[in-house]
Amino acid sequence: MKKLLSILLAMLMVFSLVGCSNSSEPAPAPADETPAETEEGKVLNIWTWNVEFWDFLGKYYADEIVDEYTYKKGDVTIKRTTYPSDGGAYQDALDAALLNQANAPADEKVDLFLAEADYILKYTNSDATMDVKSIGVTDFSNTYKYTVEAASDANGVVKGVSFQCCPAAVIYRRSIAKDVLGTDDPAEVQAALDSWDKFNDVAAQAKAKGYYMIPTTNATYRVFSNNTTSPWVVDGKLNIDAAIEGWMDQSADYVANGYTAYTSNIWGEEATSEMFATGKSMCFFGPAWYFNFSMGNAQDPDKGCFGDWAICQGPQAWFWGGTWILAATGTDNPTMVADIMNTFINNEEVCSKLVSEDAQFSNNQAVNAKFAADESYGNAFLGGQNDTAVFVELAKNIKFQNITSYDQLCNEGLQTYFQEFLDGNVDKETAIANFKDYIRTTYPSVTVE
Amino acid sequence: MAKRKSSGNRSISYAKWGYIFIIPFFVVYAIFTLYPQILTIYNSFFEYYRDGLTIVGPRFVGLDNYKTLFATNHAGYVPIFKFLGNTIWLWVLGALPQFVVAMMLALFFTSTRLNIKGQQFFKTVIYMPNLIMASAFAMLFFSLFSQVGPINQFLISSGIASKPINFLGMQVSVQTLIALMNFLMWFGNTTILLMAGIQGIDEALFESARLDGSTSTQVFFNITMPLLMPIFIYVFITSMIGGIQMFDVPQVLTNGYGIPDNTSTTLIMYLNNFLGISKNYGMAGAVSVLLFIITALLSSIVFKSINPNRK
Repeated sequence: MKKLLSILLAMLMVFSLVGCSNSSEPAPAPADETPAETEEGKVLNIWTWNVEFWDFLGKYYADEIVDEYTYKKGDVTIKRTTYPSDGGAYQDALDAALLNQANAPADEKVDLFLAEADYILKYTNSDATMDVKSIGVTDFSNTYKYTVEAASDANGVVKGVSFQCCPAAVIYRRSIAKDVLGTDDPAEVQAALDSWDKFNDVAAQAKAKGYYMIPTTNATYRVFSNNTTSPWVVDGKLNIDAAIEGWMDQSADYVANGYTAYTSNIWGEEATSEMFATGKSMCFFGPAWYFNFSMGNAQDPDKGCFGDWAICQGPQAWFWGGTWILAATGTDNPTMVADIMNTFINNEEVCSKLVSEDAQFSNNQAVNAKFAADESYGNAFLGGQNDTAVFVELAKNIKFQNITSYDQLCNEGLQTYFQEFLDGNVDKETAIANFKDYIRTTYPSVTVE
Repeated sequence: MAKRKSSGNRSISYAKWGYIFIIPFFVVYAIFTLYPQILTIYNSFFEYYRDGLTIVGPRFVGLDNYKTLFATNHAGYVPIFKFLGNTIWLWVLGALPQFVVAMMLALFFTSTRLNIKGQQFFKTVIYMPNLIMASAFAMLFFSLFSQVGPINQFLISSGIASKPINFLGMQVSVQTLIALMNFLMWFGNTTILLMAGIQGIDEALFESARLDGSTSTQVFFNITMPLLMPIFIYVFITSMIGGIQMFDVPQVLTNGYGIPDNTSTTLIMYLNNFLGISKNYGMAGAVSVLLFIITALLSSIVFKSINPNRK
């Protein structure tokens, strides 16, 4: 019991560290909302691993913010259940809830839940999620195609929507770029970074000036893992793609040459401390949500360096994550579930605010195009750069491919075990053997050779 | 007895109340301990896990789970043996200093010659770390010893280290930290148990020994230790069982990965990996059964070797 409690508390602590809460002031909900039908459930349960979407829901959908875990919309109470994503804890808890869905009382059933690209297949390909077209989410004309593909099962039945589109970029420090490359203009920086070879050359220049190219070797991991030519699991067997090998080689190289500040977890204190003004790292990697939700240290009013950033595509096109909202089978609030989904993909006012107020890259192409063309629009964090214009171009290159339901722990596990090699604790063979053994223990259904 | 005789053949049997009074324990034991135990053993013979949201099994596979458990892994060793070794090593590392320090403190506090003032205060203070949750404690150390944490900041600013030391990436420091945390958390508890044991020894024995001119060492080895043995065995075995079940501190400190190179992965962490995303009851059952056997064996060995006269 004591252990159980302590694990729970540890999870809460981890979560409170990861999820920096943006205090959301109750904003008036858009006027054109129809109140939920009264014969449906009075409680809408939404499962999340952080508060990103939850905050948007509070700002743009709920009528009243009751507390950190509760909103009101009409006479329906919206409740949040949150577990940290790390180590699969969120999936773990969610799986238990979904398997118990049929037996749970109406007010405790999962109605909506969030899922990441890394494991979305597990849910879309199961009966735990339902066809959203059947409950009234039918207009996908403005959403990005890959966001719909990702939320569809093997037969093309759409099970959810994403409120964001996540083309990702290199997020570089303007002041460091100026010092190293003599310019901080996104087009010129892009020209200097448009291949890994050039990127490595710039890394050497940065080193010569006393900077690091990247905060941690894990920063570039997603770029490689998103450009694989084969999935993690092929015919039930673990498969390490050439692109992953490429990342390993590059990381070993960067550690040997001192191009990276750390080798640690991208979410850890070490890597995030490089976002402060005192940081010496030039390039971070991520999509819109990364710099507005996960770069809190850079936005810190005292120690941060707000405005000293800009984005460009970098060596390879890629996307990272994105949060999908999936409809759980057995929901007693189908109307409201559909209403929430439609609000975040088709309500122009809400989508516009997501861009202008929250610096999101919305999942509404018309709205994004509007901002991309708007000369006066700029992101203050990026020194006034129009990030939407950059992302509109990058979004064209996104392909949702080589994804399996095992990706989260394969990605986390590989980075963790490979770090031991980078830190010099084990040789490369042992690091990979340890990773393989981890997968063998974690996924009995995957054959590891 | 006298009462019974006097009441003659209209005797009332009180024996049944004895049984009635112990029923709650056995009911609780049967439901919450015995049944799960049997179920665990039963499950260990089945293939039974989840693949995504699909439940695979249960399918009877005989001893296959045990075979898998003792198979060599990709790194070329049998994981369960390595993790058993880790567990015992981590326990010894924390428990040895714990016994020594706790024994010394217990002797100081109970010594009528030293007669330390403010005992209550010290007892509370040394017990305090035990009140902190192990995982919170581990989180605290995780932050303290991170590469940008206060310890590294101090080392760099005072010129002892030129660049941050990766405490949480090195075997020596990770194992030392785990041992240190377990030591800090449990030495107070052990001290108090040993004190109770020493206080239970007749003071007259100590006095007469002193009158006979024996040294403190002689008193300790010839009076205190032999008479303290029952309590000491209890402390030792509970500590050992706790050590075999070590989980929370290394789990939180290493984020569940037992870094570096699985040198801080304990048996329960291994068990936990099976019970993670795939809820592999079969393999987890096999690990549990093995754990049960190891615990029983070690306990009986310790019990027999420390006190051969007891049956």
